[in-house]
Amino acid sequence: MNDYVIEMLNITKEFPGIRANDDITLRLKRGEIHALLGENGAGKSTLMSVLFGLYQPEKGTIKKDGEIVRIKDPNDANALHIGMVHQHFKLVEIFTVLDNIILGVEPNKMGFIQESEARKKVVELSDRYGLKVDPDAVIEDISVGMQQRVEILKMLYRDNDILIFDEPTAVLTPQEIEELMDIMRSFAKEGKSILFITHKLNEIMAVADRCTVLRKGQCVGTVNVKDTSKQELSRMMVGRDVEFVVSKDEAKPGETVLEIEHLTVPSKLHKNNAVKDVSFHVRAGEIVCLAGIEGNGQTEFVYALTGLEKPSAGSITLKNERILQLAPRAQKAGDRQINASVRQRSKLGMSHIPEDRQKYGLVLDYTLEENLVLQRYWQPEFQKNGFIKKGEVRKYAEKLIRQYDIRSGQGPVTTVRSMSGGNQQKAIVAREIDKEPELLVAVQPTRGLDVGAIEYIHKQLVAARDNGKAVLLVSLELDEVMNVSDRILVMYEGEIVGEFDPKKTTVQELGLFMAGAKRQGANSSTERTANTDA
Amino acid sequence: MKILADIISATILFAVPLLLVALGGMFSERSGVINIALEGIMIIGALCSCLFLRALDDSGFGPMHPQLSMLYAILVAAGSGALFALLLAFASVNLKADQTIGGTALNMFAPAFAIVLTWAIQGQGQTTILIPTWSRITQETLGIVEKDTFLQNLVFKSFYQTTLWSIVLLLIAVVVLYRTRFGLRLRSCGEHPQAADSVGINVYRMRYAGVGISGFLGGIGGLAYTLAAGSAFQSTVAGYGFLALAVMIFGNWKPWNILAASLFFALFKILGSYSGSIPFLPKFENIKASEYIYLMLPYIVTMIVLVLTSKKSRAPKSEGIPYDKGRR
Amino acid sequence: MPEKKKRSFNFPGSTSILASLISIGIGLIFGLILLIVLNPSAAGGAFVSLVTTGFRSSDKFAKVLYQAAPLVMTGLSVGFAFKTGLFNIGASGQYTVGAAAALIGAIQFQLPWYVCLLLALVGGAFWGIFPGLFKALFNVNEVITSIMFNWIGMFAVNLTINNLPMMLAKYWGGAQMDRTANLAQANPNALIPRLGLDTLMHSNYMNTGIFIAIVFAIIAWVILSKTTFGYELKACGFNRNASLYAGISAKRNIVLSMVISGAFAGVGGGLYYLAGNGQYTLVKQLLTAGFNGIPVALLASSNPIGIIFSALFVSYIQVGGDAMQPDFVKEIIDIIISVIIYLAAFALLTRELLTRRQMLRQEEENSAADALPAASEEKDEVSQS
Repeated sequence: MNDYVIEMLNITKEFPGIRANDDITLRLKRGEIHALLGENGAGKSTLMSVLFGLYQPEKGTIKKDGEIVRIKDPNDANALHIGMVHQHFKLVEIFTVLDNIILGVEPNKMGFIQESEARKKVVELSDRYGLKVDPDAVIEDISVGMQQRVEILKMLYRDNDILIFDEPTAVLTPQEIEELMDIMRSFAKEGKSILFITHKLNEIMAVADRCTVLRKGQCVGTVNVKDTSKQELSRMMVGRDVEFVVSKDEAKPGETVLEIEHLTVPSKLHKNNAVKDVSFHVRAGEIVCLAGIEGNGQTEFVYALTGLEKPSAGSITLKNERILQLAPRAQKAGDRQINASVRQRSKLGMSHIPEDRQKYGLVLDYTLEENLVLQRYWQPEFQKNGFIKKGEVRKYAEKLIRQYDIRSGQGPVTTVRSMSGGNQQKAIVAREIDKEPELLVAVQPTRGLDVGAIEYIHKQLVAARDNGKAVLLVSLELDEVMNVSDRILVMYEGEIVGEFDPKKTTVQELGLFMAGAKRQGANSSTERTANTDA
Repeated sequence: MKILADIISATILFAVPLLLVALGGMFSERSGVINIALEGIMIIGALCSCLFLRALDDSGFGPMHPQLSMLYAILVAAGSGALFALLLAFASVNLKADQTIGGTALNMFAPAFAIVLTWAIQGQGQTTILIPTWSRITQETLGIVEKDTFLQNLVFKSFYQTTLWSIVLLLIAVVVLYRTRFGLRLRSCGEHPQAADSVGINVYRMRYAGVGISGFLGGIGGLAYTLAAGSAFQSTVAGYGFLALAVMIFGNWKPWNILAASLFFALFKILGSYSGSIPFLPKFENIKASEYIYLMLPYIVTMIVLVLTSKKSRAPKSEGIPYDKGRR
Repeated sequence: MPEKKKRSFNFPGSTSILASLISIGIGLIFGLILLIVLNPSAAGGAFVSLVTTGFRSSDKFAKVLYQAAPLVMTGLSVGFAFKTGLFNIGASGQYTVGAAAALIGAIQFQLPWYVCLLLALVGGAFWGIFPGLFKALFNVNEVITSIMFNWIGMFAVNLTINNLPMMLAKYWGGAQMDRTANLAQANPNALIPRLGLDTLMHSNYMNTGIFIAIVFAIIAWVILSKTTFGYELKACGFNRNASLYAGISAKRNIVLSMVISGAFAGVGGGLYYLAGNGQYTLVKQLLTAGFNGIPVALLASSNPIGIIFSALFVSYIQVGGDAMQPDFVKEIIDIIISVIIYLAAFALLTRELLTRRQMLRQEEENSAADALPAASEEKDEVSQS
């Protein structure tokens, strides 16, 4: 009578300071394709990691076929025939397809691998489901699409029939996505049950039977896809009243400070480009926001803009100085190749609040004051003949600490590692904004901060803009996007798919563009909707 | 012609310890642990097995059953090396310490310990352990009539059981690494431990195994070095443990390449001693103590080769990075 | 304004010092046990000798200071490299080349001591370039390069000395074939000045070497803590990515750091051999002097001022170890030192645990003032779901 193959009941999973899953109930029917939808931070990956045994929930139970089970690690999950294809593939690059599939469950006689037996089973599975792979190809040589098929075959080889996919289409080409959806449908027809995590509405509408929507760790609801629409799903995903209203004057944009032309950045994870031929500009006195779901190229774009990584083609001009010019081979050979260093860009007035504050933004083992001068220690203000002017550094640090209310155990001499995430972020923001840059590149500047701090930083961003500076904000928080920016550019799969005036659009509309359901025109960079010319 | 036989025989003799120890290093690094302590492991293996040989000699068992005794001695070398290596495993896997620190500590410990122990057992001032002469395999051992032929000169000049075992162990290494379940899993731990973990492999246990095997092979390598170097153990292996690491890198962490690399380096080492007798090698007559030029040769050649092969060099991707299960 | 709560063990480096003292304590206990095992009757007396000889008389103390000088230098060499995130296992080769440069300057060219010391610095610096360069240009593992160059350096030095006949003791009337000349005979000007300290302390060993070493330690300390260059080096060592973000050139700093490390090691060689008490012997074994810098640096957590003390400590127990003879071999000291290094691995763990506890206590305070604490990785994981 119970047609649910998996039931996750009242699951609560906490990490220090945050409740990632809050009393979530999800039921998976046998033979269905069930989508798990939500924004970044909604709790989707965590929930699936609980099911796969990577995390243990604080509260709640999991039932399989009506019986309570305990899943302590992936081995337990596997024993219950639950398999998972992770967003970041867990494949050994130098092994062949065959070796990766059988790793851990190798058919063997006295320890010697029986390769022909393995090969037979893999080929049979491959043919049955139409998963084209070359068993002897080495992983690092094959396409991402084939790599994913290897991950799927790993599950099938282990006779898994509850299959979890974590953002499976993030790295696929449109054609590969079609193939994947066909494969999922054939699995379902056979009676296998599929859970897939996604933020892409098109795919949910195309292939899922039911969809559970999560928001900020809680379950908003489960709907039949046949009975719903993209608009409704989008509303469930982001729909809430706008929480913070930032009071600000009209923007008075001046001359162009930053000009990006045909920027293309390769991806480290797969053979597609992460950023595809992106062009736009940012003017003095305006806040432009690059909005989008994480993983659509924003990270690579920012690294290329700030000089941390090298793009493959394009040009960038900052305040009339060309800081980047890389021509692909097709263009004229006479053009000079320019690639200004990080230091040069900083000197020209670029400031960067990085996405990963611990990896790039701070030297955790340094003190607060040492970190506050990270971008300026070489200036005459802070050093003379190579010797650091400790007094000046101290004064400066104290000023910033006061101004930005940076809290730490011992003030300027606190080791940054021991500071809370929120205060670490405040330190970085303080440092970068106080530089009075011509262009401030802020990537998720309010991540991990409390309400008061968020408000303060938004005020600072607006103040910088009112002072005639250009601000490029990259954010995943739609509230922030709507409230702080003067102009919104939505990035999806490495391209700019839409440009909006926050006063004239809605969160729901943005959501549709961010999830790839819509795009403005064929070449959205050349199309400027009338209302952006303020 | 005799010179040629001597050269080939000496090359093989010196290549054997390099081969064994480099293979050991390969197993360790393939599992993800950089083993800087090979030098120390060699010394411990040599120390224990030589003491054991002396004991067998004194007890009379040795001269009566020489090759059997040798076999036992080899096992002692392997076992002591493996145990010593476990100290490195513990520091690297459980304590997640910097693998070079742990290795350096063991390298300092081994020769000092060797001297202290030898002293304690053999009495004051006696810091060398003489190797019994019956350990060598001669024509007599095999029941062959001694003749002055090229082949006999080649084989019997310094023939020890360790040479035979090194060939056997090489073959076993190739098979284990590429054809067994264990080998596949070991390699996955050095490349992508998260992937291995996600399919249920115990990365910690695999790394212990990898380091243990490196100790096993390194210990035998230490004995082989001592046999090659002369008639006694003198608490040193003259940097062979590190040279073996270079051989391993040059061999791109693959067994057959490592064999080639070992022979290559041993050859350069030997050339120095025979420079006088080989007609086409420069003799540096005007330079005093020109032997040093030839002594430098293996190291300089190593550097050149490392530079040339650095592009194709492909170390196990996750070596040297302690595996933390908590981080996914 | 944030309140500053004073905590008992909270001055910079307190956890490191504690961890080092614990390692030393355990190492010495291990040594005592070893002594007891080897020779129970003599163990007690030997251990007492070990621990007290250095202070027993002024000439013994002088020996401690004399031996500490090159240890300080090699410790600085290894420690300085550690601070930049590099492991300078090539200190031995740099030490040897530095020593050779000093001796050649002294004996062959009859230069005064300060020039010779400068040559030692240059020699070591030159030898230190190679691992850094090979890593930066060809991406060859710096540990292997350093090891290879240890040997190449030693052989090259032996070769050179053999071909400069003036260098050998034989030339100056000495009996031995295999060592360099006695400086007192060959060029007294090259000897490091004693300033009467030798008569003061009744020791033939004492000279101003230790003070020169201390000066270098202070220089190292100044570079690391007070200059922009030191700031950049440490940033590279702590977090390569953040230093990239800050516009610092990692490759340039790697090479410079190795050059400075090499220079320190070279001076160490110079100080030892220009003291006149030892002659450079042409052997085919690597000098252990370079490797002894490693425990010195580890015990002091690579802090230059701390290195002065850890060098004195290591020298102290070495002098004590000599006094344990003939009942015990002096190599027991090396065993104790290696145990201490091995425990340094534990020390890192202990230090992490102690720091983490500090952090957790910090967080409890912070959460009063701040909504969300510092859980970095888990939080980032979560926010990506």
